[in-house]
Amino acid sequence: MTDGTGSAARGRDTARPLSLAVAARGVFDLALQGMVWSRRSLLMAILLGLPAAVSILYRVVPKAWVPSRLGGPDLYALIAVFYYVRNFLPLAALFYATALIADEVEGRTLPYLLTRPIPRSAILLGKFAAYLTTTLTLTLPATVVTFFLLLTARGFAGLGASVPDLFRDMGVMVLALLAYGALFTLLGVLLRRPVIPGLLFLFAWELIANLPGYLPRFTITVWLRSLMTHHPAEEGLAGLFAQTLPAGMCLGVLAALIAGFLGLSLWIFSTREYVLEQ
Amino acid sequence: MSPSRRVVFISMIVVAVGTAAALGALYLDPARAAVGPLPPEGLALPGDARFVMGMDVRRVTASPLYKRYAKGSPGQAFSRDSAFHAIEEKTGVNPERDVDQLLLVGRGGSGVDAGLALVLGSFDRGKLSRAIETEKKGKVSWKDYQGTTVYLFDEGAKGTGAVAFLDDHSLLVGSQSAVETTVSNRTQGTAGLRQNTALVALLERVRPGSTFWMVGDQSLLANLPRAFPNPAGGPAGSGGSLTLPSLKSLIVTGDLDPVVAVAITGETPDEAAAKSLADMVRGLLGFLALQANQKPELREFAQAISVTTEASRVQVNARFPYALLDALQTKAPATAGPAGPAK
Repeated sequence: MTDGTGSAARGRDTARPLSLAVAARGVFDLALQGMVWSRRSLLMAILLGLPAAVSILYRVVPKAWVPSRLGGPDLYALIAVFYYVRNFLPLAALFYATALIADEVEGRTLPYLLTRPIPRSAILLGKFAAYLTTTLTLTLPATVVTFFLLLTARGFAGLGASVPDLFRDMGVMVLALLAYGALFTLLGVLLRRPVIPGLLFLFAWELIANLPGYLPRFTITVWLRSLMTHHPAEEGLAGLFAQTLPAGMCLGVLAALIAGFLGLSLWIFSTREYVLEQ
Repeated sequence: MSPSRRVVFISMIVVAVGTAAALGALYLDPARAAVGPLPPEGLALPGDARFVMGMDVRRVTASPLYKRYAKGSPGQAFSRDSAFHAIEEKTGVNPERDVDQLLLVGRGGSGVDAGLALVLGSFDRGKLSRAIETEKKGKVSWKDYQGTTVYLFDEGAKGTGAVAFLDDHSLLVGSQSAVETTVSNRTQGTAGLRQNTALVALLERVRPGSTFWMVGDQSLLANLPRAFPNPAGGPAGSGGSLTLPSLKSLIVTGDLDPVVAVAITGETPDEAAAKSLADMVRGLLGFLALQANQKPELREFAQAISVTTEASRVQVNARFPYALLDALQTKAPATAGPAGPAK
């Protein structure tokens, strides 16, 4: 095969595997295609885009019909903290990240991937990047739309002063998807059925964040909550023992968790022998 | 372009447009304050202030709280409406219509010297000046101070009051020394409030868009009482009083619509003091909740307040619906109306 200049294009040396970056890029493209345009993503788009729809209703429905106790900024704070960071982003991470390898195992397509001349770590990295791109694609536009709809409910005065909160919230959402995604990727690599343990982690273990003392530091959510500037009032234990940790410590711990979980996932996936059920 | 890439691309466009709009709002916001919620005019206020309070008067007068409780009740000599009408007739200023923002600054000292008010809004400067000049004949004088006319009340007496227009939209009211200091800061461009680094740091932490706010530093809080009677009695030997940990600073912000929302942030010397203060406040709230047998609204009142700690800071957040405030008010005894015709 020759290119337009006439010089012969060098064929790839098939005896050598592709480089990590090139291989990961190829896996990323393939995985992204299957991930974004799927039923799972349609459901996630509805769930993650729901706050934008609620915001539109909040702006459109006259206050006389449905008196609200929440101002626009307060509603945005509740959505950012409770809806996204504490509930639906971890759920999105669970359903996408656990399926990165589990879907290949269940679909019996893993051997085809593993026999390609690409580093195994490139497969996982490419898929993880596709997961992150997909979830951010669904989350960030909804967050931006929700922000503008709710923060301008009482006019544009003061909007500029709230803009740093938007960027901070988006940053925390990215960290949430990275941290939970890395953890659930590890679960997906380790376990055959990772969803149930993932749900137990989210809805049982993470409740430790509401306890006093040092126990909350063994969860992921307490580090994410501490990074947010919004602290809506809560009832019960969460309101009683809520603590906010220093931002620098939160960033450091989250970075370590992401690197640790992802590193462990890469090592296990690279060295493990996957035996498919007959 | 594949459908998935198209979706990602559209998403990136939405986020990029949103980010650009946000940055534009940040840069172009006409209400963007010089420091925190403080407008540029406020920076000329005296730098020796111990606390600064601000109020968005328009939001306050539009709030349900103002509409419910600020109206004069029947039987008062002057209802609020008639008082404001009288002010407007004399001065051309309708406080509800013409005043946008009110800033109050507290300094050391007592009486007139203790405070200074900066009123921002739209004034009929000529009418207001005439009203001042004619209102208290013989007791008001005026002079030119660095190009600004300063009206003095009881000049020469202790605690001479003063009024001055910084411009067509800013009116200063306070002691002569405070007003002249502010005028001097403004005309000479010297750093007024900005040189008070402690207060400036607190102002920058005020939640944007608050209807009312207050910041105070240690010099204000050192004079506040720290011992309070313990409603629960307290352990033996405590004298039945609670001693609050000392506070280094205090920030209060609030809104009045759709509910009365108040956020108080107190900075204590260390984390242990913060936890101690938070536990104390939680205990008081628990005591309030226990009184619910006598008044059920107290339980809801206590539940509307949450207390959190962040290192050495204690944050108290309260959200009171107006229905709760109405229920908490003691009902006035019913008055017998005029006897109607016998049926």
